This record gives sequence, structure tokens and C-alpha cells, in this order.
Amino acid sequence: MADPYGVGVGWRPEIAGFVAELPGLRFVEVVAESVHAHGELPPGLQELLDRGVTVIPHGVRLSLGGADPVDPARVEHFAAVAARLEAPLVSEHIAFVRAGGIEAGHLLPLPRTREAVDAVVANVRRVQASLPVPIALEPIAALFDWPDDELTEAQFLTEILDRSGARLLLDVANVYANARNRGTDPAELLDHLPLERVAYVHVAGGAEHQGLYHDTHTDAVPEPVLDLVTALCERQRPPALMLERDGDYPPAAALAAELDAIAKASGYPSVT
Amino acid sequence: MTAPPAGAGGLGERQAALVAALTAGRPVPEGFDGFRFEAARVALLRKRAGEVARQWPMLAAGFGDRWKREFAAWAAARPAQGSLRDGWDLARDLTRRGGLPSVAAAELAEREAAWHYDGASAPRSRRGPALRVTSGAAALQVAGRVWLLRRP
Repeated sequence: MADPYGVGVGWRPEIAGFVAELPGLRFVEVVAESVHAHGELPPGLQELLDRGVTVIPHGVRLSLGGADPVDPARVEHFAAVAARLEAPLVSEHIAFVRAGGIEAGHLLPLPRTREAVDAVVANVRRVQASLPVPIALEPIAALFDWPDDELTEAQFLTEILDRSGARLLLDVANVYANARNRGTDPAELLDHLPLERVAYVHVAGGAEHQGLYHDTHTDAVPEPVLDLVTALCERQRPPALMLERDGDYPPAAALAAELDAIAKASGYPSVT
Repeated sequence: MTAPPAGAGGLGERQAALVAALTAGRPVPEGFDGFRFEAARVALLRKRAGEVARQWPMLAAGFGDRWKREFAAWAAARPAQGSLRDGWDLARDLTRRGGLPSVAAAELAEREAAWHYDGASAPRSRRGPALRVTSGAAALQVAGRVWLLRRP
């Protein structure tokens, strides 16, 4: 995504009608596993493509951080979806979602060790070998850390990006959540990440339960996350930022207000 | 590959222990913060509950505000099989115990008629016609079309 795409949104079937009506929209992201590689596209998505809206497949089940090699069938599907959508890039997470034959049902954090870096890089290379386009990697929000981290978060991420050649999908809500839960400064992480490699940015809401901030994607985007968007854009403005909402969808006016708030915080034009 | 810390096992082994602790009620691996690990375990169950509710809206509706808690209690020691199968397994479990909410009976009967699900692998479309009766609901499937014949 070399040209600025501005503000976009995570496309979900539940908000397809809302997304279809956004006049200034230039890109959306879709969960790669929800798209058939060859069958019909979900209703509404084809119309967006016909309008020239860029659709980025976002994988959630590849388990790039798993110690085992990625499942070739999943990689093949991912690549086929990218080709089908004519996407300029794809994205996945720096995380694992299964181990020992059991699905965790969620993105789990890796130990920040050299062994884990090796595992991620090996899997990213396997995926890159099949992909027609570049991949961007997203660091996740983690409620817990492993006890034996060898690297700082910035070192861990930079090493993975350097060795794989992947781009960065930076989720500012994850940066905020991790910093808040670890008692660190989110802006400091921004200072240590290779921001010139950011392909696009996720913005999402969350909520606090029992002293921990949860990156829920079902709550409103809090003010400090928008402030972090501004802090990021002051350092280096990414070419694209998008709202991620995954449930408890608010009325259209509230969703539009969230998109406008991201536009305001980043200085991009409103898409509503 | 860099050698793992002494006595800690390789990455794959440690990841497997972590997933087992999160999904199958196994003990929290050594060295992890127990409070945070438990918070992650509960968040995971609630997220699964939300996903199953989207796939099985009437099943979730049958429990109202209690849905996430009920699902979490049932799923605590059952690793995720995907929201279609998780909801299906719960609905069948409830049926066996006579606890399926009546508003969810039609949803289950329609799926039982349309798909063959062995409880262990991905459901498949049925080739032949099927009539399924569950918790007072009856559904008939012929050539891929499903008719609901009776509600409880």
C-alpha cells in the first residue's frame, strides 16, 4: 500500500450495509479464513471490489508462531484468497493459535526468545514462498507474558521483521493494552519500532476488567488509543489506518463517529 | 536454533503445555503469573461464547444474559473445535440432559436434518433426505432444502 489509503474499516458481515454506504472508503480488511478461495464472495464484498475499494486479507489461524511448520493447506488458501481479491498485501499475527493438536481459539503470545524468533521467521518464509504479494505482521495484545523473555518487545519485533523482510501491521490498541498492563510507556515502544515499515494500522476498543485492560474489539475506542494514533502520526504517519470492531456493533452513527475520530487523530480525510 | 533454557523443554512442548492449561483445565505452567493467566483463560472462553452465539443465535438467546457464563462453564475443559461444532456439541449435550432451551430446538433440528455430524469431525451435507426430531422440534430435509415441520 504505497499510496495513502487513509481511513478504512475491518469488513464484517454484520456491518456490511454500513460499510457499503461509506462514500470516501478506499480500503477494508477481511478475515482471510472467512473468504472462500474459489466460491462466492460474502455478500457486499464483491460490490466493494467493483467500486475499486482495496480488500486486504487478514489471516487469524495460520499460527505463524507455532513451533511446527505452518499447515500447507492453510497457506494455499491464504494465497488463493489474496489472488482472488487482487490484494496488494496480506497480514497475519506474530502469535500461535494451536499446539499439540489442540486449538486455543485465540491468538497467544510467544516467549520473546531467539528460539521463538527462529520459529516465526521460518514460518513467515514458508508463507512468503507461496504468496503473490508481501505480508505484514501484527504484534498482538497479550494478557500475560512468558517468564523467560530474552528480548525487549522492540528487539523481538525488529528481529523478526529484519530477518523475514515482512512489513509491520501495527495495532495501536495492542500497543496501548500491553503498555498499560505491563506498566510501561506506549510512546516509548513507538520510538523503538521501525515505523517506516508500517504497512497499515489497526485501531480498536477495549475495556478494563479486574485491573487488566482487555483488547475486546467490542467496546468503543478509548481516548488514549486515539492519542496514541496522533503520537504515531507525529513520528511517521502510516499510509492507512482502520477501525477493528468484532461484535456488540453500535448504531451506524456511533461507528461513523469512531471512523471520524481516527481521521481526526491521524489528519486523514473523513470517509463518512 | 538457539538452545532452550535448561530444563524448560522446547518451544513446541511448552506451547502445548500452555494451550492445555488454557483449554483443558491443566495446571498453569511454571513461572507464569497465575492471575493474568486466569484472566486470559476466562477472556478466551467469553470470546468463544461470542463466536458460538453468532453461529447458534437461538441457542445463545435461550440463555439470555446467562449465555456467556453457561457456555464458559461447559467449555472450560473442552478445547475449541470451531464455533459450529462447539455449539452443536453443547446443544446435543443439553438435549441429552433435557436442558435444551425450547427456542433453540428448531435451530438444532434443522441442522441435524441438513448435515451429517459425527461429533468428531467437520459436519458434512447429507446426501439423502432426512427427518430429525429433537426436543419437540421436527425438521425435514430433501435435496438440500429444509422444512421445519414442528416447533416445540
